[in-house]
Amino acid sequence: MAQTTAPQPQQIGPKGMGPGFWPYTIALTVLNVIFALLILFAPLDFIMPGWSHPVTDRAADIDGLFKFMSVFGFAIFCYVAGYVAYFAIVFRRRPGEPAGTIGVVVHDAPKLEFWWTVIPSVLLVILTGLSIVVWYKIQFGTGAPALTMEVIGHQFYFEYRYPGLKGSVYSQTDAMHLPIGKPVRILITSADVIHQFWAPEIRLKAAAVPGLVQNLNFTPTAPGTFDVACSEYCGVDHSVMQGKLVIESADKFEKWLAAQKQRAAAGAHPIPLARGNAASGKALFAQKCSACHAIAPFDKKIVGPGLAKLTDDPQHPTLVTGKSPTRDHIAEILENGYTGPIGAMPNRQANGLSDQNIADLVAYLVSLK
Amino acid sequence: MIGWLTSTNHKNIGILYIVTTMTFFVAAGALALLIRSQLAFPGNTFLGPHAFNQAFTLHGTAMIFLVIAPFGIGLANYLVPLQIGAPDMAFPRLNATSFWLFAVGGLTVFGGLLAYGGAAATGWTAYVPLSEIAEGTGAGQDLWIVGLTLVAVSTVLTAINLLVTAVLYRAPGMTMWRMPIFTWEVVATAVLILMAFPPLTAAFAMLLIDRHTGGHFFDPTYGGNPVLYQHLFWFFGHPEVYVMILPFFGVVTEVVATFSHKPVFGYVGMVISAFAIAGLSIGVWAHHMFTTGAVSNPFFSAVSFLIAVPTGVKFVNWIGTMWKGAIELSTAMLFAIGFMLNFLIGGITGVMVASPPLDYGAHDTYFIVQHFHYTIGGGSLFALFAALFFWFPKMFGIRLGEGMGKWSFALLFVGFNATFLPMGFMGLEGMARRVYTYPDVGHLALLNGISTAGSVVMAVGVALFFVNVLVSALLAKPVPDNPWNGYSLEWLTSSPPPEFNFHTLPRIQGKRPAWDVASGAAP
Repeated sequence: MAQTTAPQPQQIGPKGMGPGFWPYTIALTVLNVIFALLILFAPLDFIMPGWSHPVTDRAADIDGLFKFMSVFGFAIFCYVAGYVAYFAIVFRRRPGEPAGTIGVVVHDAPKLEFWWTVIPSVLLVILTGLSIVVWYKIQFGTGAPALTMEVIGHQFYFEYRYPGLKGSVYSQTDAMHLPIGKPVRILITSADVIHQFWAPEIRLKAAAVPGLVQNLNFTPTAPGTFDVACSEYCGVDHSVMQGKLVIESADKFEKWLAAQKQRAAAGAHPIPLARGNAASGKALFAQKCSACHAIAPFDKKIVGPGLAKLTDDPQHPTLVTGKSPTRDHIAEILENGYTGPIGAMPNRQANGLSDQNIADLVAYLVSLK
Repeated sequence: MIGWLTSTNHKNIGILYIVTTMTFFVAAGALALLIRSQLAFPGNTFLGPHAFNQAFTLHGTAMIFLVIAPFGIGLANYLVPLQIGAPDMAFPRLNATSFWLFAVGGLTVFGGLLAYGGAAATGWTAYVPLSEIAEGTGAGQDLWIVGLTLVAVSTVLTAINLLVTAVLYRAPGMTMWRMPIFTWEVVATAVLILMAFPPLTAAFAMLLIDRHTGGHFFDPTYGGNPVLYQHLFWFFGHPEVYVMILPFFGVVTEVVATFSHKPVFGYVGMVISAFAIAGLSIGVWAHHMFTTGAVSNPFFSAVSFLIAVPTGVKFVNWIGTMWKGAIELSTAMLFAIGFMLNFLIGGITGVMVASPPLDYGAHDTYFIVQHFHYTIGGGSLFALFAALFFWFPKMFGIRLGEGMGKWSFALLFVGFNATFLPMGFMGLEGMARRVYTYPDVGHLALLNGISTAGSVVMAVGVALFFVNVLVSALLAKPVPDNPWNGYSLEWLTSSPPPEFNFHTLPRIQGKRPAWDVASGAAP
């Protein structure tokens, strides 16, 4: 049986750094310079199809930071991966070389090791500084905000509150609206589990933590309709907890807000409940609700409670949410679902209910006297 | 069989660990294939949300707690006594206890699949309040908590055992500064485990109390704080990342030095950087919580950036070891090179998300999924295969087929990059993680399609590895005691080693006892 071969004292390595080391290094450097110029001067969506344009001042800062880091990241990748692959090839053991051949015996290079510890440290301190500058602006804003609004996470939708607006805007029925050119502060929290408010085009996300309010500060700069999504896993329907964000001119924003206020003042539910059709509601109930609910007294449960005489039962003056059984409050349960001591009901998205469906169901339930 | 079940020998326990973790690896890999199948195209309804949520929860939990980390521990169990010339671990019975706690804990977690309501479905992080209410209230979540607590206790016991063994049970002449880098990395890992795991068991205990006896530790309506859970979890969770990588840094160091046929370059730098990484990793946990707005982002950002420095030192030392070597491109060496290339991408994306503003964009998207798979999958997992190819002859006295091994490597390398590189772009295009479905916008359909195809290629590579083990076991070609011309002490004993490891020990007078014996410098 072959035993350990004695390491040979001869050095098989070539002189200098190795064959072709310097031309190779120059080639890597040229590649880096080209990439750096491309990243720094070409728009990101030219280099990366699918990159969305930043639509706030802070999003532009973040893209700048991303470009800066990409230049260094690419350079580090090029040199490290480049030399790993290059050394593995040029210093590979050739067929025919004796099995006992060893490499050049080099243990250490203290000076070199000192410098490749110090230089990256300095670079990283610079990156930290640049990051903190941008972070500070996001966290504390650059001046007094012209608009402060609130985002509240629920399973599985976002609730938006605006100053002076009685009632809320919900992500299932309307978009979140922001004005261009006004510094905004968004306060974020949650009513149940941890959610996370995220709009890719503004490049920011903030966890909505129950019992904690945090804020984001920025100024929208470009109009458009963008996606909003929950990005913290929050339960079974997390994947569909999505909405829209509309960034529009200050005029249009004011008009939208005024319309919301008018509607709230009129006491109107955001869904036009008056247009409900009890007959359609009855058919829909048989199709979508009857698996869990019977048209029977409240305590006749299938999965959920019986729903007969919902608005007209002296034994049960309130709904399961504790609110009075008005049409608006019934619609609210249909919209948002319910989680509580007597069970859980999915929201409208899970049940696949349109505005008209909800209006029809409410009309039907109210008609059961 | 009974011999194996009751054994307290560190080599048997090491092999039990490795076999068990590889079994869990197959299960967690199958879950990954289910996840990728569901995400193969937009709007797919193959799994549905509840099954999907269980699948990604169990996949992450198993890969982290039951595969990568315990494989490193099992390998350390096998190798540390051999590398320092000890007859066994310091506390053999404790060692057996650790393994059985781990195995039972792992089965308990998977047992959730049989529970009413299914297994835990709250992600491997089990954030509160989600894990206290809604679909997290089933027995599956309780089994998850109890099972992982057993695993955590087992890990702490093993860390004590490894630390005491390495410090007190070294052979005459084997000073600390002569220990192989793998053993050093295990020492750093053990210290890290002792600091990081107790808070995890505390968090799990509090979670269990909250769930069943109304503890309100994490419930804001009673003055509790959901962020507290995150602090405890990540105080464990980030060091855990290094528990999953430091032993594998050791593996790569040994493999690269052995197959470059050179001493390790910058031995002292390797040891110091291991402890620097371990030390810094204790102070970075809240970078997982940048978006909560409840932590000092500048502090945790600065420390997170700094951790790149010692990691960079390791990289240049590996390159320095390869420089002017006589590099033998064996399967183990290829896996080590694959490790370096993949882990490099994981490291660079890691530096990017250490910046809070960039993290605001990347957090909880597929960018992060790409980042951590490049470190744990492309890094640790590749080093895991390097270790198997490298030490298989020592453990079983037979060699794994090199031809088939290289095919496995090629399939895994191509498959891995095809699976995970597109994920970075999915994240930048706005795909959140932990979603069971996504709309057909941008390039998401294309990127997800490539990713799913890549996962199938990886599965073929893994299957080929097991075929390789089977074929090699059937052929059972004997190998010499030191087939790779390795330098550390384990290569001086027979393959497999006798019960108490060494019949005679050489005079140890340097870092490379096997080379000293071979060259006649030591008797």
